[in-house]
Amino acid sequence: MKTVTIVAGVLLVFVFVWERVDVVRLGYQIERLKTQKILLERERDQLQVKFSALTAPARIAKVATEKLGLVPPQQGQVLMVHLPGEAPSLSLPPVEQVRVAKDESIGRERE
Amino acid sequence: MIAGPSRGRRYVMLFLLLCGFSIILFRLVTLQVLQAAELTAKADRQHQKTVSFEGARGMVSDRHGKVLAMNVEVPSVFGVPTSLESPSTVARHLSPVLQIRRDELEKKLRQDKSFVWLARKVEPEQGRRLEQLSLDGIGVVMEGRRFYPKGPLLAHVLGFSGMDGQGLEGLERRYDSHLHGEKRVTVLQRDALGRTVFPKGLAEQAPTPGHALTLTVDEVIQYIAEKELEEAVTHTHAKSGTIIVMDPQSGALLAMAVSPRFDPNVVAALTPDRWRNRALTDTYEPGSTMKAMVAAAALEEKVMTPDSMVFGENGQMVIASTTIHDHDKLGWMTFSEAIQKSSNIVAAKTGMALGEQRLYRYLQAFGFGQRTEIDLPGEVNGLLKAPKDWGRRSAASISMGQEIGVTPLQMVSAVATLANGGVMMKPYVVSEVRDQKGRVLKEVRPQVKRRVVSPDTARTITTMLEGVVTNGTGTKAAIPGFRVAGKTGTAQKIDSRTGMYSSTQFVGSFVGYVPAESPRLAMIVVLDEPQGEAWGGAVAAPVFRRVGGQALNYLGVSREDTVKIALAMKDY
Repeated sequence: MKTVTIVAGVLLVFVFVWERVDVVRLGYQIERLKTQKILLERERDQLQVKFSALTAPARIAKVATEKLGLVPPQQGQVLMVHLPGEAPSLSLPPVEQVRVAKDESIGRERE
Repeated sequence: MIAGPSRGRRYVMLFLLLCGFSIILFRLVTLQVLQAAELTAKADRQHQKTVSFEGARGMVSDRHGKVLAMNVEVPSVFGVPTSLESPSTVARHLSPVLQIRRDELEKKLRQDKSFVWLARKVEPEQGRRLEQLSLDGIGVVMEGRRFYPKGPLLAHVLGFSGMDGQGLEGLERRYDSHLHGEKRVTVLQRDALGRTVFPKGLAEQAPTPGHALTLTVDEVIQYIAEKELEEAVTHTHAKSGTIIVMDPQSGALLAMAVSPRFDPNVVAALTPDRWRNRALTDTYEPGSTMKAMVAAAALEEKVMTPDSMVFGENGQMVIASTTIHDHDKLGWMTFSEAIQKSSNIVAAKTGMALGEQRLYRYLQAFGFGQRTEIDLPGEVNGLLKAPKDWGRRSAASISMGQEIGVTPLQMVSAVATLANGGVMMKPYVVSEVRDQKGRVLKEVRPQVKRRVVSPDTARTITTMLEGVVTNGTGTKAAIPGFRVAGKTGTAQKIDSRTGMYSSTQFVGSFVGYVPAESPRLAMIVVLDEPQGEAWGGAVAAPVFRRVGGQALNYLGVSREDTVKIALAMKDY
């Protein structure tokens, strides 16, 4: 019984120490990953700037015309095909029915 | 029992000890209590240095999320001169990395300061090399550097920000409170030998960035507008030019091009004249484009109908001792024909028939003489005098687009009102503000300002303005396959030397909307002092056609003939 108690005590101490060491180790790992995240975000931003510059309409037009020999479509060369129910929606915002100009004072209803 | 003398000595000793302790106590109270605040501050000054850093400015993107302005974290290099042993050695090491002259660096490092910037917002590679050098008293911190990846595209709207991340012009200035990042203060410690102890990970830490803006602008339409404007300005040798494209149903700005252009990445060498957004800061006498609004007012008030017969006075008429001329010797014609031919005399008669008060009310209702309240800085009111300040011929002059100063934005906003069935929308350029986590903080919805004319009047004036493009002065604005409504304008500029109207300096413009039956685009083209033929119908109308045609193609708006083909196929 005594031996079991001692072994259990030693094991508990080991578990305690291991847990503390692991907490410290994970702390370092989190710090390292945080730094890595920031560096990756920075790299992403740099790539984003590069991507935006490369996809600028002026650059695409230049490459299309000068490198690929493309020309803008002429009048009548583009025909839009809208599938049923795909007509561009023209949603009008709510309109205040106020005839300002016809009134003596702006902003008052005439009727 | 202690003898007398030794007792005396003891008292002396006791007295001396008390005196000593009293002095120490007095000094202690002086240092720790009376001078505590002052000395603590002094110690802090010796041991600490507070430096503040701004978080990255928020991103700006177009209506489809295409990036127009963003920050990238780049290194900034600073020095702590008071902790340097040999400024000249440090300067020798730094010079090749920073590409700054050695003597210039040494001068900075010899200053009696505890913090100096050596080079701000340098290339990442330079920062890495400096960290490898690991020089005492030299530190690297990350700061946001503003990039405008599309160069001059939309520059007059975007504006630019300063070295310290503050918005200086355009949207950068108007939305600075949203765009600027969190300000963070970092305390740098110094050890007993005066060496700076940099906090761990200083280079990696960055304060919270600012909010992101989404614009109503479409970068492709913006590109089309800028490209065509540049070509027109070059071709006509105009001093400057402006194109504004607006969605008439919402007031959302789709493009705002100003020439000459500038690159917001490189503004140091430019003057304010170059980056001024002329679309809303410069006024001009609009000339005949004003007739569209005067005609709409006359129709609304039933002063005229499209078929009213009007007399053109054979090309000249005297009003208040001044002779007004028309380009052609026009006789009797319908009101519609008078608008098509842009008759000054009929416009003057219409304005006088409306009367000063009614004319003024409509001009105000169309937004002249007041800011449109667009969310951009620098907008001016324009010039619209109150009727009490008008002369005897003012009603006639204003109806022809003289004696009134408007901005291109006011004019396109007024014509967009006609395109939108008589309802004026508030123009806007920012549709959404999001925080760094992408949560929407502010969403801008289209905002109705007022109804100016009835839908019937708007329809009638649209038909009349279509006549301008099919049979009148604006035929060069016609876009094949689409119905275009618009009005040309050619205004003489005031000669600053004589104070009279110049016979050589003009502003040529065209303002209109397309497709006329269901407008998707309202647009104005203004060219300032085009050389040679300066008529709005000759210089500005073709630009309207080119920009409108390409933009409608891009937006996928069906041509009239496409609909006919589709109907024919259906019948077949």
